[in-house]
Amino acid sequence: MIPVRALRDCLDGIIPGVVSTCAADGTPNVAYMSQGQYLDDQHLALSYQFFNRTRQNLLANPRVTLGLIHPQTAQQYRLHLVYERTETHGPVFESMKAKLAGIASHTGMSGVFRLLGSDIYRIEGSEGVPGSTLPAPTPAVDPLLALRTCMARLPLSPDAESLLDALLDGLQAHFAIEHALVMMLDPGRGQLYTVASRGYPTSGVGSELPVGDGVIGVAARERVPIRISHVTSEYAYGLAMREGAERQGLGDRLETEIPFPGLAAPGSQLAVPIPGAHDPLGVLFVESPTEMRFTHADEDALVALATQVGGLFRLFLAELELGEEGQPASAREPRPDGVPLRVRHYAANDSVFLGDDYLIKGVAGNILWTLLQDHQALGRTQFSNRELRADPRVRLPDQSDNLEARLVLLHRRLAERRACVQLEKTGRGRFRLLVARPLELEDMDPGT
Amino acid sequence: MPAPPPLFLDPDLARFITGGVSINAGSGSAEGLPSLCLAFGCRVDSGTNRLTLFFAAPQAVDLVRDATRSGALAVVFSEPSTHRTLQIKGGDARLAPLGEGDLACVEAYRAAFAQCLVFLGFTEVMVRTLLDCPDEALVALTFTPSALFNVTPGAQAGAPLIPTPPRAPGAA
Repeated sequence: MIPVRALRDCLDGIIPGVVSTCAADGTPNVAYMSQGQYLDDQHLALSYQFFNRTRQNLLANPRVTLGLIHPQTAQQYRLHLVYERTETHGPVFESMKAKLAGIASHTGMSGVFRLLGSDIYRIEGSEGVPGSTLPAPTPAVDPLLALRTCMARLPLSPDAESLLDALLDGLQAHFAIEHALVMMLDPGRGQLYTVASRGYPTSGVGSELPVGDGVIGVAARERVPIRISHVTSEYAYGLAMREGAERQGLGDRLETEIPFPGLAAPGSQLAVPIPGAHDPLGVLFVESPTEMRFTHADEDALVALATQVGGLFRLFLAELELGEEGQPASAREPRPDGVPLRVRHYAANDSVFLGDDYLIKGVAGNILWTLLQDHQALGRTQFSNRELRADPRVRLPDQSDNLEARLVLLHRRLAERRACVQLEKTGRGRFRLLVARPLELEDMDPGT
Repeated sequence: MPAPPPLFLDPDLARFITGGVSINAGSGSAEGLPSLCLAFGCRVDSGTNRLTLFFAAPQAVDLVRDATRSGALAVVFSEPSTHRTLQIKGGDARLAPLGEGDLACVEAYRAAFAQCLVFLGFTEVMVRTLLDCPDEALVALTFTPSALFNVTPGAQAGAPLIPTPPRAPGAA
């Protein structure tokens, strides 16, 4: 049998596969195939782009011989396949559609290559074709060793925020991945929001993306990793988001949009869902200006890392449900002096402005507003994640909400803005509100 | 069934299929199992109008068996830089001994195809490795084209190409 690693390399579309079929009367037909996808030991999917002779033959005689060439070693393979069905939606289809858009753009075939379906085939047999070959190149990074090193560090993280730092630092140090970010899912609003990033001029923490948009949004919606070796504008969410907003006349609302931090001209991208109990918790996204930067092995490693991150996240949430660390008694902190800062809250989207500066919106905005109200009215500075979860003013979408991630977002935004309000961790599931100057809270549209 | 009339390849088509294009040939077994092989060049005999394709014999065992059994052969020629793709079919495929000039034809093909792929970013050594075969292991299949199709990706894909001179009697 053909090794899985070689099969996956061959199916990436660098060298098109060749499909041989026979009509009912035995007349042969040979066609090129843009892209394939390994599914499991017994199945693969090939792109269905045109209703052509191959298609007619398949419907009459489902047997196919697929010729593949390894793009590095020149080893040829032949696979004997039997057509089973065509999928026109779902994870396999969406992943192939995103990849095909990249291949089409790279080869000047945008607008011509369009995925009509993913043809699913059963692998009946395979063979290596005798001939000369080259040695496989040694990758610069050994993904398995890099994975092991990264995975060893992640469970040492005491909380969600340091877990995300360990993940992104590990990708940089061990995988030489310089541009990466993590977005978390806000299931109530169908949005993903950035909680951590590396390698961009601005962190983009707090920037949002609708589920279903771009590589990241499709990966979240379909719960499938998407790896693109030639990035196209179709899936370049940063640009698409801006253009979309302008088309819909939302330009004036962009004052509360934090710019997405992605590369202006990415060559390769890989988005991997971080699994949750039901919905994904979020998406790990990496990119590079270089085309064909990320391999199948990188994808495997990042899927493993994302699985571990998802598990640890859920562990943090479960621990918070079980109990809290004892809270040290704290003296009531003195009120700050100075010129008061006006803090506005707009209930329509729970956005919060410090002075004239937009800070944050959504659930994280509500959390901050709740903390500030209690600080103002009761002089409170000590809070716990658990009480916030139960506080009706926070209006969490549901009990399983990833409150930890929202606090990471809030903490980072406050720190980045060097705001006069900061959050400081005081123990597992506990934190302190630091307020450096007097505040005037103003609810702009209360009661809505 | 009477053999279909042979098709005439105009000079542009002949130049295309003998240039630096990728060439793959297919046939099928009596049971309908398709066979496939990468070819190492193509020669057009201007006298007989037959095409001759070259293969590495160890790679072409199934194809040669099927094509010589039924005579049926389908060959696609594709130019990687433009995606211009042509499919030629025939029904009288048979093995032919390599003639004078055939080794030079294969070597010229290797050079032309390598040049084409190097332009797209592949290394010459990779293409040369792919097309590597000892001279004594080369085999040739020859056939008369009976159908031509433009299979360049796009809406026109699959359209039969009606070659220009000579026109079939009564053709519009």
